[in-house]
Parts: sequence; C-alpha cells; structure tokens
Amino acid sequence: MRVSIVILSLLIWASPALAKTPVSIDWLKTMAFASHQTDYTGVFVYQYANHVETSRITHIAEADSEYEKLESLDGSRREIIRHHGQVWCFVNHKIVPAGTRPGRNAFPALLPEQLSILGENYELRDAGTDRVAGHNAQAILFQPKDNLRYAHKIWVHVDSGLLLKAAVLDEKARVVEQYAFTQLQIGREVDRAALKSQLVGLQPSGPANQSVNINSGWVIDAMPAGFRKVTEIQRSMRRQHAPVIQIVFTDGLSAVSLFIEPNDKDEDDIEGLSTRGAINLYQKLVGDKLITAVGEVPPRALIQVLDSARYNGK
Amino acid sequence: MKQGISVLMDGELHEDEAEVLLGEIRRDGDAHGDWAVYHLIGDVLRQPEHIHRDLGAGVQARMKDEPTVLAPRSRAVTQKVRTVALSAAASVVAVGVVAWMSLQIAPEAAPQLAMQDASMRPVKMAIHPKSNDYLMAHQEFSPAADMTGGTAYIRTVAYSLNEKP
Repeated sequence: MRVSIVILSLLIWASPALAKTPVSIDWLKTMAFASHQTDYTGVFVYQYANHVETSRITHIAEADSEYEKLESLDGSRREIIRHHGQVWCFVNHKIVPAGTRPGRNAFPALLPEQLSILGENYELRDAGTDRVAGHNAQAILFQPKDNLRYAHKIWVHVDSGLLLKAAVLDEKARVVEQYAFTQLQIGREVDRAALKSQLVGLQPSGPANQSVNINSGWVIDAMPAGFRKVTEIQRSMRRQHAPVIQIVFTDGLSAVSLFIEPNDKDEDDIEGLSTRGAINLYQKLVGDKLITAVGEVPPRALIQVLDSARYNGK
Repeated sequence: MKQGISVLMDGELHEDEAEVLLGEIRRDGDAHGDWAVYHLIGDVLRQPEHIHRDLGAGVQARMKDEPTVLAPRSRAVTQKVRTVALSAAASVVAVGVVAWMSLQIAPEAAPQLAMQDASMRPVKMAIHPKSNDYLMAHQEFSPAADMTGGTAYIRTVAYSLNEKP
C-alpha cells in the first residue's frame, strides 16, 4: 500500500495539470516593441547540443528604419546585417545580399491576430522572476498544447522589455537550444556611426531575390492544428537555377517553410532529416520534385507536414 | 508426439512405451526441443524462484532490432547505444509499474505505455552548410524575429556559414 501511495504521488507530481499562473500578453507587446525600437548592443552566448558560440548584436532604431548587425566572435568572421527590410551576409570575405523580410513595416509589431493565434496554440505561464546578465528579468513559458511544437521559455528585461535569454524545450523539458546575453548595454552609448558606416555602398538585394505571390497548387493534408498559411511565393534562391516555390505556415511563434523545386540532385545528396538547435530540416523527393521542409518545430511535425504534401493543381 | 512427451513426463507411460518414445526423442530434434521446453515449463511452475531469465537483456536485444525511423550517422553511435540502453531500462521499469498498476487502477495504465515511444529519440545529423539558403529564406518569414529581433538569425549564421559551399 505504501508503494502505491509513493507511485501515485509521483504520477500526480509529474502530471502537467498543476495550476500555473497565466501571464499577461502585455509582456509580449512590450517585448516586440522594445526589440525593434530600442538601441542596444550586447554579447550573447548561443548553445545547442555540444555547440557553444559567442556573438555580438548591435541594434539601432531610427525614425523610419532599423539597423542591426549580428557578428560572430568565435571562429571565422561571420556577420549578418539587416537594414530597412534588407539582409546581407558577410561570409567568405565578401558581403552578399541574403534576402529580405518582405511585406513588413519598418517597425513590425505583434498584431492582435498574431497574439490570438499564439494563445490558441500555446499556454502562456508566468515562470517567475530571475536575474540574467545582471538584469532583473521576468520569465515566461509558452507551453504548447500538443507535441508537434516545442515549448519556449523566455526571460524579458523588466526595465526595457528586451529579451535577455531564451530557451527552446522539448516535450520532456530538455533544452534543445538556448541563448542568453552575458552583457547588454541599452541606450545612447551604442556606437551608431560605426554601424552605419558599414552600410555605405551596400546595394539592395535587387532582382536576384525577387519573389511573386502565387497559388502553387500544393496542399498539405496533415498540417498540425493551429498552423496557418501566411505566404506562398515563387522565388529565386542563390544556389538554385530554377525558381523555387516557398510556402510558409506559422502558429504565431514557430514557422514551417516548404521549398518545392525541380529535382536536379543525386539520390545521395538528398538530406533526409537534419538539425541545428531548434531548427530542423527534412528533405525528400515527391514525384519529380525535391521538397525541403524547414522549421523550428520537432522533427515529427516536419515529417508529418512533408509526408502529407501533394500536388492538387492542374 | 507432443502428447506422448507430456504423458511420459507425467509418469503415465508403461516402461516399454517409454523406451520407444525416448528413442524417438533422441533422434528427432524438434521432439528433443519440446522435451526441453516442457521440462523448463514444469520447473518454472514448480519453483519460480529458481528461474532467472534476463528480461532486460531480451528487451534490449529486441529494441536493437526495431527499425529506427531516422537513419543515424556514425558520429552519434555512442549516444545511440546509451539511448537504447536507457530506453530499454525505462521500458522494463515502466512495464513493471504499469502491469502492477493495471491491477489497481486500470484506466490510468494506458498513457504510461504510450509515453514510452518518446524516450526512443532518433539520432540526427547536423544541417549541412549547403542548406543555409533554405534556413535564411525561412528566417525571412519566421515570427521569431518579430518578437525577439535579430538574435533569431543566430540559427542561420551559427557555426557553419564559414564553410565553403
């Protein structure tokens, strides 16, 4: 009898049905606002599996645009620069255009509909207060309502609303990836001149990255609940000759992209399932098309999406 | 034949009949196997405390034969072995608990069994740098950057962009 009590109490303890304090979505609005409208520079550590690296991010906001630079501090020099919806990559000793964030305002904010989608798919919980990089932070947990998405835990700077730390957790609450600021400077001291000088001479991505909205005729029969199609385009991609169809679905916090293109690869070059932190990639042939699914969702969700993709067009 | 072996083991055969049957068992491999199994069953029924069957090893061996949905690459072999071992151990414990609990409260037992699948985590390989373009293109539309700003791009730029395509 004593054993049964112990086991039962263990089961009750382990059940996720314990009462948790809900958290106000105002935190999310504050955070989205702060991450785009604040000047800041800081060093953060990014970790997944046995991989750890340090990067510096600098962000400045101006009346009509944002400048942002993400640079690696470990290993070879890698940078990503974002300005006014354009993205550049500094890699292999040269700066190359690396796409855009089309259809966005200069200051994207979380839209009410985006917040409501988020609330349908995740339970938001107050995870208490904590200290990160010497700052006071409010922790918030996004607990998914099924196992086709990861849980996210974020630590928001109480004073500024900036994100100080974020962790992606699997269904057993193991960390899939996380990043955390080790040092963060907010406000005027950020060196605007240095950042902007780097932008001189950078050309917009131009026609090479143009995309058009289309109706591709591809449908996903088993899309996980809560994911909605937000984009369906035909675009060019750097290494592909033929245009690629990209269809994007999002549940408010995570997204899944499907890339559909004519297959010009050997069987051996097809990737199958691979991973980098919370990002998973699943690639396979469907008929004569090569389909690649990419998303910050668990592998089982990507497999479900790709395996239920079919062409329903003419 | 099986009937005969059973009767013989119960000591209900005459001596001459037993002689003939024992001779057949000696020549017939299948019958010999039945003979051994029947004795084992008898032993287990009579003296269960003296029988040691390594159930854990059996479960582990069977799990190694289970097809893994996602083909692992060589890098993670040790991890896989450990995962299998842990899963096997967890399964044995869970089966024990569930079997015991199902006697007490049957409805709660089922989810425990169902949860075992998740402990068998597939081993995955790292995304190849040549696929970074897909990641970058995906990042353009991911809501992560709306909420957290540019740090979301670290997933795209991490580690492998420096490798030559």
